[in-house]
Amino acid sequence: MATTERPRTFVRPDGIEKVTGTGRYTADLVLPGQLYAKFRYAERSRARIVRVDLERARSLPGVLAVVTHEDVPDVRYGHMVQDRRLFARDEVRFEGEIVAAVAATTPEVAARAAALIEVEYEPLPPLTDIETALEEGAPLVHEEWESYGGDDELGRDRNVLGRSVIVKGDPDAAMAEADVVVRGRYVADASQGAPIEPRAVVAQWQGEKLTVWSSTQVPYIARSVIARVLELPESHVRVIVPLLGGGFGSKCDFHFEAHVAALARAAGRPVKLVFSRAEEFFAPDHRREGMVIELETGARSDGTIVARRGRLLLDGGAYCGEGGFFAQMAAMHACGPYELENVRIDSSLVYTNRQPSGSIRAPTAPQTCWAVEQHMDELAEALGLDPVELRRRTLIREGSESPTRQVFGPVSIRQTLDRAAELIGYGRELPENEGIGIASAWWPSFGGESGAYLKLNADGTGTIVTGAQENGSGAVMGLPLLVARTLGMRPDDFSLLYQDTDAAPWDGGSSGSQTTFNNGRAVVEAAVEVRRQLLELAAEELEVDPGDLELADGEARVKGAPGRGVAIAELAGSGKTIIGKGSGRVPDAPATAPDPGCVGRLGMESFLEPQLMTHAVHVRVDPDTGVVRVLRVVAVHDSGTILNRVGADGQVYGGVVMGIGQALTEATQFDDDGRQRNPHLLDYKLVTASDAPAIDIEWIETPAVDGGPFGAKGIGEPPCVPTPAAVANAIAAATGRRVRRLPMTAERVWEAGR
Amino acid sequence: MSRSLLVAASVEEALGELAGGARAVAGGTDLVVGARQGKAPLPERLVAVHRLAELATMEEADGVLRLGAGVTHARVAADLRVRARLAALADASTIVGSHATRAQGTIGGNVMNASPAADTVGPLICFGASLRLRSASASRTVPLEGFATGPGTTAAEPGELLEAVEIPLPGEGAGSAYLRLDYRRQMEIAVVGVAALVRLDGGRVADARVAITALAPTVRRVPDAEEILAGTTGGADTLEALGEAVAAASRPISDVRGSAAYRSAMAAVIARRAVQAALERAR
Repeated sequence: MATTERPRTFVRPDGIEKVTGTGRYTADLVLPGQLYAKFRYAERSRARIVRVDLERARSLPGVLAVVTHEDVPDVRYGHMVQDRRLFARDEVRFEGEIVAAVAATTPEVAARAAALIEVEYEPLPPLTDIETALEEGAPLVHEEWESYGGDDELGRDRNVLGRSVIVKGDPDAAMAEADVVVRGRYVADASQGAPIEPRAVVAQWQGEKLTVWSSTQVPYIARSVIARVLELPESHVRVIVPLLGGGFGSKCDFHFEAHVAALARAAGRPVKLVFSRAEEFFAPDHRREGMVIELETGARSDGTIVARRGRLLLDGGAYCGEGGFFAQMAAMHACGPYELENVRIDSSLVYTNRQPSGSIRAPTAPQTCWAVEQHMDELAEALGLDPVELRRRTLIREGSESPTRQVFGPVSIRQTLDRAAELIGYGRELPENEGIGIASAWWPSFGGESGAYLKLNADGTGTIVTGAQENGSGAVMGLPLLVARTLGMRPDDFSLLYQDTDAAPWDGGSSGSQTTFNNGRAVVEAAVEVRRQLLELAAEELEVDPGDLELADGEARVKGAPGRGVAIAELAGSGKTIIGKGSGRVPDAPATAPDPGCVGRLGMESFLEPQLMTHAVHVRVDPDTGVVRVLRVVAVHDSGTILNRVGADGQVYGGVVMGIGQALTEATQFDDDGRQRNPHLLDYKLVTASDAPAIDIEWIETPAVDGGPFGAKGIGEPPCVPTPAAVANAIAAATGRRVRRLPMTAERVWEAGR
Repeated sequence: MSRSLLVAASVEEALGELAGGARAVAGGTDLVVGARQGKAPLPERLVAVHRLAELATMEEADGVLRLGAGVTHARVAADLRVRARLAALADASTIVGSHATRAQGTIGGNVMNASPAADTVGPLICFGASLRLRSASASRTVPLEGFATGPGTTAAEPGELLEAVEIPLPGEGAGSAYLRLDYRRQMEIAVVGVAALVRLDGGRVADARVAITALAPTVRRVPDAEEILAGTTGGADTLEALGEAVAAASRPISDVRGSAAYRSAMAAVIARRAVQAALERAR
């Protein structure tokens, strides 16, 4: 490769338009004749629909369409379980369920019309507690659950939407013989992705063909589900994503595109939907799941963990959405990156009459890690060992075998631990009411299909046409670095064409920290193809063997003969078509035990090229009020080779701050009926820039053996995983008390100290 | 349904519109945000007063600082007289909402909105501020204390516009502070707030005012706490008793921001700290 340059000051191509306000997002689009959509929500958590009367809404001047389930095909959707209709038909199961939708000439008329729809309900008692939902005789959130299509591996049973059991050895016998046993119960509240851009959709029909502009993280998946629920050929649906104002996972999956398309078809005009901040909180089938985590761990006096038993309950909410894999992901995190001799983890994802849970940045991991890492500190205390020393003895190393019998390759998690402890000054004397906490964590890389084209333009620049979606993380913005590195050109020689499902190859979208990992491989492969074409053209031009040529500094030149070369711009301007395509080989999932000691194998029973990390957090606790200030965070990560330092650092800064919010202030609170009590930014308390502590980042670069380009792993999700746990351990170090509710609000910290 | 918004070019024009049933809006940081949040729909008839220069003046005369109702929190917070002599008001104006709230929101709006969580009102009550109210037909001056009659309601008559807040500047030996329980460093709303004004004479408290925010249906003084302080040097035992008195006088609610029990306990903590800060500034 031409250069190993890793710039720290790379300016992302979408940066200037975003910060100067000239960038155009979905909500900024205006089409001629466009109407405005408004949904009529259930506004209650469980009821049978007795009657819907649309007459008053339809007769309001300015209303051009009112649609319900009667106006769309009777198709159920959902990623692993097909349990939901676009519009509620017989029963509503959470407050954000859509009963009807209106399109009108102004947003105000649309809102008034939606309010004029008369819906008569027969109230049913809502099921809002996960433990109650599992009781014998509990009402069923979905009475007809058995008739739904779904993944057989989920192990569905009544209100259990998915179950995962990981068993290794004989944990009961081992627990009985352990020198020390600790037990803990931890409860995490639900939280939100809370992207800065509330979602928006514009739909326009041209004959039988539909174009949708949507603020989605996953345009190809959105296209598939739109086609499925509206019974259209997928080729008739085109999804375009203008600039996306963040998502944090909450904009994964299909959301409201088909509702707006149905309105546009009924009205015969383009229709635009723009969510209010409140809708962005309560309507999407995405929030970070509430959890109950019970752990029991037995160890020998030297720290060897001989047994862990765990029971995890996850609040899945009313529908599966794309979160069907959560029980297994949580079970893997309940084991954590540790050597455990005997294990039994039983994890259930449970239906309730609340907003459905869905992926939010590293789903299930921050809460589970928060519980496990506090539990590890409690184990250390019971053993009389220092928490860092206990981790040093028990974290995985090369050759360690996971509870599902995955054998790990080179892993550097111990190095992240040692370095984090060193950088924070672990063990030093601290002022009163201050404490330092440490937490280690892991997160898989996800292999998946992905594609890109690369073409050179006549002026010597290049255009990357990629299926990947930029959600704000900068992963797509960093693709020019990879191409430039392969072609000996400059990153700003390349423009990006994304995201239009009619233009680019398929991609799984901005989810699972997979853009650099998978699409990075694709663009490098496309660049290699372009490189070959350039070398052939140059070889002809220079009358040398292509093998004697290299690409560097914008030219193709003879190795070791400076001055003998031809500019890439000249070759590109010759009129020849220079175009490459790539997808790359998808890495295989590491092997696990063939024996089905595990229930619910959905692909997460092994962690491909795990990302490994340790955070160390220094806090100050106000003992009278319980208010916690995070003073400093040290984040040491191994995400394989770092290709774009400024981008990778950015992910950690953001993840740490998000993690602090999850730790201390961010929670969706529900009333007894399952409705959100704080669907707005005044009382859903995100961490502000003023609260951000000093954050020191260090990278341990262990190149991935079978991973992304140049040995890269993913990085987007895990930076928020260990932060709440490290904050929890720091609070305990400062106060001598454990807070076993997440978030650890001032009131909860104060209560724990009483 | 018709809706109107008149951007008033003069106080008289605004008063005429108010007489016709309009509601005044300045920064809109309560009214507009509240409407968007679904708390209450926007009034059908609005008169915007944010361009009225007469309402944006800050003048000192005869020991009284007169703040036009349209003066923004940011201006109050940056004013050197306020910082030196009305420190509790500077404290409050510095932390109202966000930077954007402080750039747009006005002291008059904070008073007229009559929120139990209004940050500037506790300090203003402690300083003995009065309100200059004017309607199309009359003007009057009323004390701020007692002006709010409940959450969101005041003793203002229909058609009255708040022109100015008049604050007597405290004399020698005075110190004041406003303290709020904050979960984060920006964008906060009071969960518990306490304003304190003390005047020291020979090291002893000659005069004390203590007001509580977000702990009762209206921002109000706590006479029991003031009595406990009077005549003392403000030692630890006094502050302990003062905290208990403030907690006892509180009528907190339980909501998403905190339980009543927590608020009561924090009332004592924040009261002690606010009075302590006021004493230090007075010394």
